[in-house]
Amino acid sequence: MTRPVRFTFDGADIAAAPGASLAAALTAAGVRGFRETETGSERGIFCGMGVCQDCLVTVDGRPGRRACMTAAAEGLDVRRQPARPPLTPPPATTLTPVLRTPQVLVLGGGAGGLTAAIAAREAGAEVLLLDERTTTGGQYFKQASGSVPPLDAQQAEGARLVSAARAAGVEMLHGAEVWGAFPGPRILAADAAHVYDVAPRALIVATGAYERPLMIPGWTEPGVMTVGAAQTLWRSYRTLPGRRVAVFGNGPLSAQVALELARGGAEIAFLGEAAPDPLRRPGATFAMLRHDPRLAAKGAAMLAALARRGVRVAHGTRPTRIARQDATLTVSWEGPRGAAEAEVDAVCLSFGFHPQNEVLRLLAAQMRFDPRFEQLRPERDETCATTVPGVWAVGDCCGLGGAPAAAVEGRIAGRAAAGGGGPTAAERRALARHRGFQDALWRLYAATTQRIEDMAPDTLICRCEEVPRSALDASLDAGCEDIGAVKRATRIGMGRCQGRYCAPALAGYLARRAGADPVDAGYFAPRVPVKPVDIATLTAAEPLLAADADADAADG
Amino acid sequence: MADDLVVVGGGITGQAAALAAAEAGARVTLIDWGRNAGSAANAGSLHVQMQSRFLRLNPHLAENVERSLPLYRAAVAEWARLDAALGGVEMSREGGLMLAETPAQMAFLETKAARERAQGLDVDLLDRGALDRIAPYLGPGLVGAELCRDEGKINPLVANARMTTRLEALRVRRVRDRIVSVTAEQAEGTDRYPARAVLVAAAWGSGALLPMLAMPTPPEPLHMNITEAGDYRIRHLVQHAERSITLKQFRSGQVVIGGGWPAEGGADGTPAVLSRSMAANVALAGRIAPGIAGLRVIRTWAGLNTPVDGKATIGPVAPGAALHVALPGDAGYTLGPIVGRAAAAVALGLEPPVDPAPYSPERWRQ
Repeated sequence: MTRPVRFTFDGADIAAAPGASLAAALTAAGVRGFRETETGSERGIFCGMGVCQDCLVTVDGRPGRRACMTAAAEGLDVRRQPARPPLTPPPATTLTPVLRTPQVLVLGGGAGGLTAAIAAREAGAEVLLLDERTTTGGQYFKQASGSVPPLDAQQAEGARLVSAARAAGVEMLHGAEVWGAFPGPRILAADAAHVYDVAPRALIVATGAYERPLMIPGWTEPGVMTVGAAQTLWRSYRTLPGRRVAVFGNGPLSAQVALELARGGAEIAFLGEAAPDPLRRPGATFAMLRHDPRLAAKGAAMLAALARRGVRVAHGTRPTRIARQDATLTVSWEGPRGAAEAEVDAVCLSFGFHPQNEVLRLLAAQMRFDPRFEQLRPERDETCATTVPGVWAVGDCCGLGGAPAAAVEGRIAGRAAAGGGGPTAAERRALARHRGFQDALWRLYAATTQRIEDMAPDTLICRCEEVPRSALDASLDAGCEDIGAVKRATRIGMGRCQGRYCAPALAGYLARRAGADPVDAGYFAPRVPVKPVDIATLTAAEPLLAADADADAADG
Repeated sequence: MADDLVVVGGGITGQAAALAAAEAGARVTLIDWGRNAGSAANAGSLHVQMQSRFLRLNPHLAENVERSLPLYRAAVAEWARLDAALGGVEMSREGGLMLAETPAQMAFLETKAARERAQGLDVDLLDRGALDRIAPYLGPGLVGAELCRDEGKINPLVANARMTTRLEALRVRRVRDRIVSVTAEQAEGTDRYPARAVLVAAAWGSGALLPMLAMPTPPEPLHMNITEAGDYRIRHLVQHAERSITLKQFRSGQVVIGGGWPAEGGADGTPAVLSRSMAANVALAGRIAPGIAGLRVIRTWAGLNTPVDGKATIGPVAPGAALHVALPGDAGYTLGPIVGRAAAAVALGLEPPVDPAPYSPERWRQ
């Protein structure tokens, strides 16, 4: 047994397993609220993957550190973050500027990114891969931190893929987060010690997806998190989100996570699925079996295992409200059997996925709106090339497709980006099969996306700026017509998550109010930084980019 | 039925013009294309002292700027009037600092301050000790600053929202259309808007609409950054004697960093951010005010400034004409309300709040 690391939280000693994130360590220690908001509410872990910017803490005098993305380390002074941190100069950090010009740059270390990197390497290209997590593998393979053995076949498969990428000679930078994307393409990223300016010959975007939230009153309370965040706590850090947990979602992930948490020792108080009972739709079930009997059987086995533990999926059920009293959450829901509620200490919520397409939109890749999944998808050719020369996109950042499809797309795009040929017949067949399975899967789990018009007036649509539906409606009644005007009137979407949660919901809402289709222009304009970026990072980047300006001047 | 006044351009200048006209009882239509406009990209600085950036880039226009200084003072007074009339726009008048890092920069500020004082500005020179007493958030390496007590800032998000509400209450008709031609009788886009007087307040779009005037209105795309919120400590509008920077903090805590770093004209006319402007602008801000280094930059954008000749243009395109211009000429958000109100008054035959004679379009007549 390795020795635990020790740090303090507001002066109290916390012991953490080596490799644990601060978020996992604090959760294990029973700490839920990490920071305070402008209105005095508490916030803790929500997305668990660096997107929501809600788990911010001050670490060694530097505010704005995401507890979910920051590793616990010996002697750290971690503090609860006030709504407005003091303007005390933080300790100086010096990042080394690095200019890189790989043949192929891959963004994302999940199923699509790793496979693309391996394929490009095998086609002879020099490949650099940036992954924002310190433990590579992505959200599907979700690797364990530290030296914990794989939990199951899914983690083992991910570990093999990471090893294969390493063995193929892919250079991987872990903990490197992209903050800028400029024409070229030119990608700007940073890790704890460097700032990178990467000008690749070919770029493969494999940035995956993040969870579409279920917005209900109370969804911002500490202890309420996405299903994926709870899964990361358990799979990566062997930490349960709570002893007694309620899970609400849409799609197979919520049942899978409920089972994993139950096996880990949590009591699943309730498992709600938004889609109606599949037994009522045998056609869709059959279609899924036909496309991938192995995956379909895996799903059936999962439900059987849950049933053995006394957990049954309540179909057609959605949560309506969460109230918190100290550490106790009371979650209410409605389903075919009426309304009910339960007291739990964690609630996991999700409703499908949103593609992480910020880099693609910044590079002006042409997007189209997919009305079925209510998301933007980039236009791609059969090699997964986008409309921007030199830029490919694979996997869930192009709209939900699942890990197996992402892997095939990665293989195709990786080879093409390295100058190799188009997809083989076998790859085309595999892709058709995986896409067919996804199609059948989501027909089985078809449920109406949550709509703002159905939400309670006190539902916060914008978590960051704490804008309730009532304020949004007031701005629309006052004559705001487009998403930009609504943003300026209410501050909706102006916060740290940069509109990742509110914008997609808002785009659909505004479009329906106007009787129009949501289009790319209906979303907030894409902007750098892709994620909030430290002033120290920009300062370190200055010489790299100023040199670029000199080069421009020389060219001119 | 023809309106009393049709205003082309829904930015702060056009809004202020529409407001003034409607308050005087006129029937007003305010038309905006809704793109790169409508005061969507403003940062809310209330400039009064001569901006070193402008002087550096346009030394030949320094005299125009200097002669406009009284207008800048009137502009801040107009904002104060609006602050009260609109029910609060988070205006603060705690002054603006222009920082010096070298004795030479300090000497430049001394000369500048003397010229500004002659135009009635409330300015003072501060040594490092005096600077530290009023601005303890500043970093090392500064020798002093010029303080201009007339300067301040407003929150443009609040101001724009309040302005919209007020215009609605006064039943100003707001239309989204791209106006392609104007005459003394009407503005024309997808639709026609007949009026007894037409006022063009379309910033960088004005030149093309008014071919009878040789008025250069190329837009100057400028880079802007905003951080997450921190404790409210930076009360001044902060600039530098030699380097391009404007730094201020909204009362809601976010720090807005700009000051004239270039952006690029995008393919569809939407300006695009340049990485080197972002890095250099923010790095400079971090050196000047090291306390902000704990905050992260969460958003950048590019706004379009319309410097023209550094002087406002207010009045009819020809003596007695019913086609009018309202163009601030640099620092559009500061000057917008006074220029808009003055131009609307002239167009409606009312008493303007400032003498428009020095700002006549006469100088552009072909």
